[in-house]
Amino acid sequence: MSAPPKKPSSSGAGDKDKSKVHKLSLKGSAKLVAEFFQYSIHTILFQRGVYPAEDFSAVKKYGLNMLVSSDDQVRSYIKKIMSQLDKWMLGGKISKLVIVITDKDTGEHVERWQFDVQIFKKSTSSKSSSTKPTPAGDENGERAAPTEKEKEKTEAEIQQEIAAIFRQITASVTFLPQLSGNCTFNVLVYADADSEVPVEWGDSDAKEIKDAEKVQLRGFSTANHKVETLVSYRLAD
Amino acid sequence: MATATVSTPLKSHTGLFSSRTAGGRMPLTPSPRQRAIPINLNSSPFTPEKSSNERGASKSVYGGNLGARLARASSKSHHRDSPKSNIAAGVSTPRKALELGVSDFTLTGTGVQTKTSPKARKSANIKQKSSKTTITYNADRFIPNRGASSAIANVGSGKLDLQEKQRSRAGHSEASSIVASAADDALAALEGLNIEEEDESYSRPSPNTVAYQDSLANACGVNLNTRILQFKPAPPESSKPIDLRQQYNRPLKPANAPPQFRRRIATAPERVLDAPGLIDDYYLNLLDWSSGNQVAIGLERNVYVWSADEGAVSCLLETTPDTYVSSVKWSGDGAYVGVGLGTGEVQIWDVAEGVKIRSMHGHETRVGVMGWNKHLLSTGSRSGLVFNHDVRIAEHKVAELVSHTSEVCGLEWRSDGAQLATGGNDNLVSIWDARSLAVPKFTKTNHKAAVKALAWCPWNMNLLATGGGSYDRHIHFWNTTSGARVNSIDTGSQVTSLRWSPHYREIVSSSGFPDNSLSIWSYPTLVRNVEIPAHESRVLHSCLSPDGQMLATAAADESLKFWKVFEKKAGAGAGVGSSGSSAKAELSKQMTIR
Repeated sequence: MSAPPKKPSSSGAGDKDKSKVHKLSLKGSAKLVAEFFQYSIHTILFQRGVYPAEDFSAVKKYGLNMLVSSDDQVRSYIKKIMSQLDKWMLGGKISKLVIVITDKDTGEHVERWQFDVQIFKKSTSSKSSSTKPTPAGDENGERAAPTEKEKEKTEAEIQQEIAAIFRQITASVTFLPQLSGNCTFNVLVYADADSEVPVEWGDSDAKEIKDAEKVQLRGFSTANHKVETLVSYRLAD
Repeated sequence: MATATVSTPLKSHTGLFSSRTAGGRMPLTPSPRQRAIPINLNSSPFTPEKSSNERGASKSVYGGNLGARLARASSKSHHRDSPKSNIAAGVSTPRKALELGVSDFTLTGTGVQTKTSPKARKSANIKQKSSKTTITYNADRFIPNRGASSAIANVGSGKLDLQEKQRSRAGHSEASSIVASAADDALAALEGLNIEEEDESYSRPSPNTVAYQDSLANACGVNLNTRILQFKPAPPESSKPIDLRQQYNRPLKPANAPPQFRRRIATAPERVLDAPGLIDDYYLNLLDWSSGNQVAIGLERNVYVWSADEGAVSCLLETTPDTYVSSVKWSGDGAYVGVGLGTGEVQIWDVAEGVKIRSMHGHETRVGVMGWNKHLLSTGSRSGLVFNHDVRIAEHKVAELVSHTSEVCGLEWRSDGAQLATGGNDNLVSIWDARSLAVPKFTKTNHKAAVKALAWCPWNMNLLATGGGSYDRHIHFWNTTSGARVNSIDTGSQVTSLRWSPHYREIVSSSGFPDNSLSIWSYPTLVRNVEIPAHESRVLHSCLSPDGQMLATAAADESLKFWKVFEKKAGAGAGVGSSGSSAKAELSKQMTIR
């Protein structure tokens, strides 16, 4: 299933990974992205007042004080989401993660946080052919050259990029409209059609916001993933 | 195959230009090309029959990302894949490019060339093809940056307007690119053609339709190849509705309190002086600090004056052996000191000259407390009576304030002289209006023990702090205009004196049993900022230096200690009490003690 054109580049990545041990592997990268999602969910729940502030406690992460819910129910709920998300991430099945905040009273979607995931190299871990790099053509060398720049990013730099996103998310409360305070949230995932879907997950619409204002926030990238952040929200009437 | 390859590009070419209008026409035009179908189908393994599957697969590679496709369609390099990589690889990519173009081009194709056979066209187009190849070449140079990055570049930007972009790009910008792609991948193009023909005839979903659906789906943000999955269990309910405004605007306690905590308060005395013979009596007031920076202290039968500027001590007076000094109080200008005696006599001394100016009689019992208000001296006695003396006139007693039934031990004029507060051993606090002294304005009965400690707030004229004795241990704060109690502190020990800081929003209390300490409280948070274990036995008296930074305490351990509890930071600016304690503030030269 994996697309042929992508393969060569993936092989290039494989070579590189071997040569530089301390670079993030695809697996590590997927983990890092998944972890980023987890903290994003917590942060958004806190910043947007989905749960009361006193339910959150500070945790040092990314060089920031991240606020993580200490409510058992919320924690286990997010944990369940994350356990599946981890699998999908490793399989490279996810193209978007979306957190939709919905007004409980009106049922209207009021805010939508979208994280676009781009996988540079098709994850092949789910396939049998997978992990072994296919024999690389000459052009792979060429092609690998530009991507190498991306790869030189150290883990610290990635952490900084992530920290910058969280700062932006935190700062976004200044322009986002006031929420009613009686909101709930949903987590959506844009997964490949062939993904394995556990029972807790079901098809959904995109829960888009009508006439939404959209603001593109920062993104970050690892050797294997690129994550973009977009928040859309209902304009105040 | 070869011929087929040739033909396609041309078609796409023409198709592109007319595509817009041709859209609707396609189904109506009978296609003569049907003949070609079987051949072409066979020749290319990538025909749309499969395509539904295939497309799905290929798209999934890009995560269903429109941007990626768009990038491909628009970037010249896209044909690159096809020639270079092996066939399998090559096919899918151009197909994408094609798909974008196809819908347009097919439409036109059918519309325009109803009669021409595809083969004929193909042959006709051969020349064109060659030219296209060159184009492709050029394009090839740009390949290196292409890979992932081109697709990525567009990811964020293309959202809803993809459809339009596709069209416009396909239409305007790059006839050449599409042509080129088509040229490169003749096979794919051909398929496209064939399929379409086939579709028309068999009324299968034509690739056009599919492509259209695709792009429509994309335009609507729906992707056929990805599923939007929702985590179905409902999220836990929030324990309560949240008002974000409250969250953002709430006073951050940690931000407020710690800075005040952090104010460094010296907990060691600046200086310790002996005070031998200091009478251990809660009801007396034997210590006072003048606006001229002199400290007067009554030690048994003597009054000593200690100059804080020079560190010199002089004995001002010695009483007759039958009595003792029960209270001392400096006049506002710091020139005179009033001395109350155990006999009830009140003397006024000129300190500079060291001579007694006058004696005022009237009280039958010892005068334990006094207070100046300009030329008025108020004296409180053990009998519970408070007299106002006009010290300028012979008939000095101008008012008799009757309220207390037991010894008066606390007495403070408000800085503006409009109100007077008195406290007594009858546990009462009386607040008097200077204009009508017949009855107290308010009488407060909240304290459960004698009230000696009284202090008017320097920044809020209506605020009075009163502290109760060992059975009471409370500091109460009063609004003296309304009479309401506004705050209370349980200090845990006998309150012997209270002093507001003119510079900080703080009040210091001195304690007797059991702590013998000084406590500094923030107001109105009532947080105890610091507790200084000050003396070995109970602190009896306290007074502030004229600059408000230093506190002097006299205790039953017969020592006089100086504490720099309200030290002003350099550049701290005007004190908060500028209005209230203006008299003192004016004199706020840097005090030194030697």
